[in-house]
Amino acid sequence: MTSRRDFIKVTGATGAGLVLGLHLEAKPRPGEAATRTFQPNAYLAIRPDGMAVLTVPKSEMGQGVRTSLPLVIAEELDLDWSRVELVQAMPGPDFRHLGTGGSTSVSTTWITLRTAGAAAREMLVAAAAQAWGISPGQCRTENGFVNGPGGKKASYGQLAEAAAKLPVPKAPKLKAPGEFRLLGRPTRRVDGPKIVVGKALFGLDTRRPGQRFAAVLRCPVVGGTPKAWDASKALAVRGVKAVVPVPTGLAVVADGTWPAFKGRDALAATVTWDEGPNKDFNSKDLETRMRAALDGPADTARSTGAIVPALAAAARVVEAEYAFPFQAHTTMEPMNATALVRPDGAELWMGTQNPNTAQERAAAAVGLKPDQVKVNVALLGGGFGRRSGTDFSTEAAQVAKAAGGGPVQVVWDRTDDIRHDQFHPATLHRLKAGLDGRGSLAAWSHRIAGGAVLRSWLGGKKSPGQAETEANGAWDLPYDLPALDISYAEVEVPVPLGWWRAIEIVPNVFARECFLDEVAHAAGRDPLAFRLDLLGKRGKVKLGEEELDIARLRKVLELAAEKAGWGRALPKGHGLGLACHAYDRRTYLAAVAEVSVEKGSLRVHRVVTAVDCGLVLNPEGLAGQVEGGVAWAVSALFSQITFEKGRAIQENFDTFPVLRLPEMPQVEVHTVASGEAPSGMGEPPVPVTIPAILNAAFAATGKRLRRLPITPADLA
Amino acid sequence: MPAFQITVNGRRRSVDVDADTPLLWVLRDTLGLTGTKFGCGQGICGSCTVHLDGKAVRSCQVPAKEAAGASIVTIEGLSKDGSHPVQRAWIEEDVAQCGYCQPGMLMSATALLSAHPHPTDGQIDEVIGDHICRCGTYPRIRKAIHRAAEGGAK
Repeated sequence: MTSRRDFIKVTGATGAGLVLGLHLEAKPRPGEAATRTFQPNAYLAIRPDGMAVLTVPKSEMGQGVRTSLPLVIAEELDLDWSRVELVQAMPGPDFRHLGTGGSTSVSTTWITLRTAGAAAREMLVAAAAQAWGISPGQCRTENGFVNGPGGKKASYGQLAEAAAKLPVPKAPKLKAPGEFRLLGRPTRRVDGPKIVVGKALFGLDTRRPGQRFAAVLRCPVVGGTPKAWDASKALAVRGVKAVVPVPTGLAVVADGTWPAFKGRDALAATVTWDEGPNKDFNSKDLETRMRAALDGPADTARSTGAIVPALAAAARVVEAEYAFPFQAHTTMEPMNATALVRPDGAELWMGTQNPNTAQERAAAAVGLKPDQVKVNVALLGGGFGRRSGTDFSTEAAQVAKAAGGGPVQVVWDRTDDIRHDQFHPATLHRLKAGLDGRGSLAAWSHRIAGGAVLRSWLGGKKSPGQAETEANGAWDLPYDLPALDISYAEVEVPVPLGWWRAIEIVPNVFARECFLDEVAHAAGRDPLAFRLDLLGKRGKVKLGEEELDIARLRKVLELAAEKAGWGRALPKGHGLGLACHAYDRRTYLAAVAEVSVEKGSLRVHRVVTAVDCGLVLNPEGLAGQVEGGVAWAVSALFSQITFEKGRAIQENFDTFPVLRLPEMPQVEVHTVASGEAPSGMGEPPVPVTIPAILNAAFAATGKRLRRLPITPADLA
Repeated sequence: MPAFQITVNGRRRSVDVDADTPLLWVLRDTLGLTGTKFGCGQGICGSCTVHLDGKAVRSCQVPAKEAAGASIVTIEGLSKDGSHPVQRAWIEEDVAQCGYCQPGMLMSATALLSAHPHPTDGQIDEVIGDHICRCGTYPRIRKAIHRAAEGGAK
């Protein structure tokens, strides 16, 4: 076992102050952690001027990571919060696995960050004690200063050089949660002041000397290629400099975004496409194939007991089919990247959740080695999983190379962004439940059919973990059931698939928690009491190699129900619905929604959530993530991507509607105080909110909504 | 090709672009004012909102020839130092998440407050309802507008 000390060491040159090298990675690849020798990849520096500088190894996409991670360091360091400066990490020899996703940024880094902050603090104290000829125990730290007896006082900046010459403490003492002065209190995001004056720089705001702009004319059918075109019309547009073929289509390079768009449109009028093998792909046929797959072979994600005899022996079997559509991400900042490519090296500027893979793939695309490509990570104008993709950065490198090197900024318009998304896949779900003679749930079967995101992510390979990934949220259901069978049947889809906020857990928990509601009603039981019975009075339970704390889930469910007034009398046309889930077996969340249905229109009035995500670092940030997750969920009730003749037919926010302010429900966040390590909150609110709303719609109308998006006809 | 004269954030500028070039791209590409954001290009999302002669407009829908002679204020010109009451209210309510759509929100909110110093929820719905924030910061936007109206921004 590697000791903590091995993850922190003094680095940096004399005169730089105190520089601690730390090791922060998303997740080491299998077999790597045990053998690697320590190499720092993140730096905490206390400069002689007293500023603390931290390399942030995570991308900021609105989840607040540029606030929460430094906050952890500042806490242990007793540092003035306003004196922390952030530097964005770049992929390279130091950082081999940068990646932001899965709501893991805090949980994977926080112990190292705390230890580094505590180590730096002890070194600064030791330096002061040495200078003053006293013992460290006589010193205290506060707001960037070490204080000693008799009014002795030295700033961290003054002590930094001396501290750098001292040994790194073997086991620095971490604060007890009761001693926290920053963590657990509301902290505003660090980038707020820049955002409100328009100075926050996103990828699309990149401006390099001599930069040009490009739009790519892509075949609307995925896999299609241009057969013939006439570049003269595009070149006749003032400002257009070149039309160059690239693997994704035809790039129109210009001296501004507008001439690039205009040239692209002029070119579009002249092009004939070879639409390729996917020209007949459509959502309707896919649904037929998915339904057939529900009856075909499938991979088991989890199986307990014997499902077939259990269902056969049931006094009553309830069965239903649920459907979730393709979805697009529609980050407000459309996809874009700026690239400079020279024979001996390249540079990229963009918002990305996946800098190392972007680096590797762009390098391969232009014939360079990864370390020859410098990747500058800008702020992300929304990520939601879309910017884990590398299609847009690879393409920008290809455009730059084809156009003489660049720098060139490739700008996707909204139609490009929607039509050429890496989509969240459509899925069909068949669920069966067996109730015994006493109305207890004795058997549960959930089969999922649809495209595999993980396969698309792995470039077409099937991973042994595919069924577990695609059935996440379905196989880890928390209920105590004698027989259950959760399986996934892959259906081939020709369009690229990608991670979408809360991933497959969204459709799987939607189907699971709505169906459970149906079963409760079939058994003549209250949905809350039914769930509480199924959770039972259990504590930690094993799910394969993982563990789930049923007591934590039970507590959030009870809390949400209590705060929402479960069981209270409601106005006519209103209904309450609930759902719960332990997201990735780490974040425990329950939601109770209040909705009304009137004249074929569903309105979500209020969503009451109760969460247990371990220790809350920043309640302000947590509330924002829950509000955002609820907004994402409500949006998903009404949006979808459909394919006809090989192309997505939605093109902009008129046909792909996104929730707007007037429809935003009131959101309440109730937190369970917890001493557990912090887990994550970027995604977990989404999966529980959707079924809570749909179960509430059933309570209001008696109509079961099993298919998204909701149409007015469903509610009439 | 005649150059267009526009006043941006109090400064007279001459821009030599095609007459149909949307003001959005004049600001971002010609004048380097990247605070105004591109979101949908069709006036649906509100990310590109600026003030044109005091009115909130979608800069992606205003061709350069229509902006000629007008006085434009962008997010960079809303205040010298971020001290506009709406900017301060935005900070105090910790509105932004990714922050991309917020310049447009701020420009619409300030125009709304100029017209209606104490807007009702209905008036906020009407104006901000024409904007999109994918992060879901809506509850805080509403609170921030009320806070700015009440002079609560300190």
